[in-house]
Amino acid sequence: MTRQSPKVGVYGFTGCAGDQLMILNCEDQLVDLFGATEIRSFLMAKSDNHEGELDVAFVEGSISTDHQEKKLKDIRARSKVLIAIGGCACVGGPQAMMVGDGKWEERFKKVYGNAKITVAKPNEAKPIDAIVKVDIYIPGCPIDKSEFLNAVSKLVAGKHPYLYQFPVCNECRWKENPCILYAGKFCGGPLTKAGCGAICPTLGLPCVGCWGPTDDLNVTSEYQLLKEKGYDPDEVMKKLRKFGGAKLAELVKDIEKKGAKA
Amino acid sequence: MMILKMKKEDLSTFLDAVKEWGELWGPTKKDGKVSFSKVDSLSQMDLKATRTIIPPKKFLYPPRFTMFDFDENGYVERTGDVPKRILFGIHPCDIHGVVIMDKLFLETYNDPYYRERREKTLLLGHSCIPDEKCMCIATDTDFIAEGFDLFFTDLKMSYLVWVGSTKGHDLIRMKPELFSRALDKSDILNYTAYRKWKNTQYKTMVDFTGMPDIFELGYSSQVWDKLGDKCLSCGQCSMVCPTCNCYNVVDDVELGSIEGTRDRFWDSCMFREYSLVAGGHNFREKRADRLRLWYTHKLQAYIGEFGKPACVGCGRCVATCPVDINVVTVADALKEQEVGK
Repeated sequence: MTRQSPKVGVYGFTGCAGDQLMILNCEDQLVDLFGATEIRSFLMAKSDNHEGELDVAFVEGSISTDHQEKKLKDIRARSKVLIAIGGCACVGGPQAMMVGDGKWEERFKKVYGNAKITVAKPNEAKPIDAIVKVDIYIPGCPIDKSEFLNAVSKLVAGKHPYLYQFPVCNECRWKENPCILYAGKFCGGPLTKAGCGAICPTLGLPCVGCWGPTDDLNVTSEYQLLKEKGYDPDEVMKKLRKFGGAKLAELVKDIEKKGAKA
Repeated sequence: MMILKMKKEDLSTFLDAVKEWGELWGPTKKDGKVSFSKVDSLSQMDLKATRTIIPPKKFLYPPRFTMFDFDENGYVERTGDVPKRILFGIHPCDIHGVVIMDKLFLETYNDPYYRERREKTLLLGHSCIPDEKCMCIATDTDFIAEGFDLFFTDLKMSYLVWVGSTKGHDLIRMKPELFSRALDKSDILNYTAYRKWKNTQYKTMVDFTGMPDIFELGYSSQVWDKLGDKCLSCGQCSMVCPTCNCYNVVDDVELGSIEGTRDRFWDSCMFREYSLVAGGHNFREKRADRLRLWYTHKLQAYIGEFGKPACVGCGRCVATCPVDINVVTVADALKEQEVGK
């Protein structure tokens, strides 16, 4: 059975480009990847790029300017399936850790002073689903090679990719690690999507949340727990927000309203 | 069932001898991790370790494994690559857990993957000393009469060895000179004394009698909402529970082909995705509903169907849940109508 190779585009916005690099880092499978798909546009990988109709667009990075916003809308308009790759595209990334606090302009001024920005109009960093509809999210900072390749293989075969929706704790128990949070230490595992194989807790380090928030997290309970364990509430909030982006910012609004120190 | 006697110092020789049958696995402790690991000899095991983080279900039903390979012509089962294993040092609660798994995976529905692993795994139980989290006395799982191949009760100077199966007897016959059938009055007295002493060692006092009624009465209790507010939905309770058996199934395909594998991995009803169905409807959207399902299943529904709880009192949920939701606190909360701190 043969299928027509899907037309694919890979794009990057505000971020470290680490997710695109991770695609190129799939060295053993790269020939297969370029063979099974027709890569129409991938600026980091090749110079001969064509912008047109796409079956699948992979988009990395958050949206931080009006110019990017326009470009993203254009990609969406010509793609059948749009996939957010990496924490910045999925939730906004570390650059969105303080999103919505009303102090973005103040911070912008602190960094850029009165410099006139002419290339584009800068905005507070947003995840791409704040602008366009996203069909599939591949989280990670950076993404995991095998999660990415599994998803691509499924798409090429005409199937819907499956990515773990449950938290890191599940994979962490599969690895038979003792629970860090149970021991009274900070760990972002219960709030964070699995898929990383619980690398950090397996090495005895707490989960920092780089896979981004799960769809079903109880941040209020974890926050309360850490406060009871004697952690400084402000420190806890910083840790929770590091990779949580816009999504976590929305969830912690209530906690912050009640006053972190309360 | 036959009971034999063996000198304590002969255990090492016996385990060295039975390795001929298959890989030897036992409880080990390394960097705070207590788990069943592959070992060369008794000296590498820690028989004092009370509970492993993950129960022995991992051998019969691994956290994630491939069931079969498929292509456009059909599928080929991945059988035959499971090694023969001898698990030494399994405690009564965990053997009770396996007995429950056997009911679920081998009786009404025969699961070929479970069956293959079960048949290739010998369970050599060992008596234990309860710690502050053990509550097998409340679930009537502190002693075991079935499900094992051999069971070793440590009576200080000697072992009393229960022979639970013909496979277990085959192991005995590999070193028959180490075992004696000559049991005397002192063995009976020592064993009775051991049982009495074990009964006095429990520190977690919990009463599960009447649980089905209490669950029925408390079905709409606000206690569930309070527990739901605390629950992190991390699913750890399911992973560490010897009787949690739910799984998800997923296909992986090779890049550029339709050949692939079908995998199975441990799932939990504590996850939102578990009760999500096509069209986006979720039967248990609320965390409180998911918690109630989990505990109702363990302490009410299972009793109704099998006459005993699906809790074996191992204390793993007590030793794992970061927000202190476990069979003890939930049973207490329902009875007292108040969630403890």
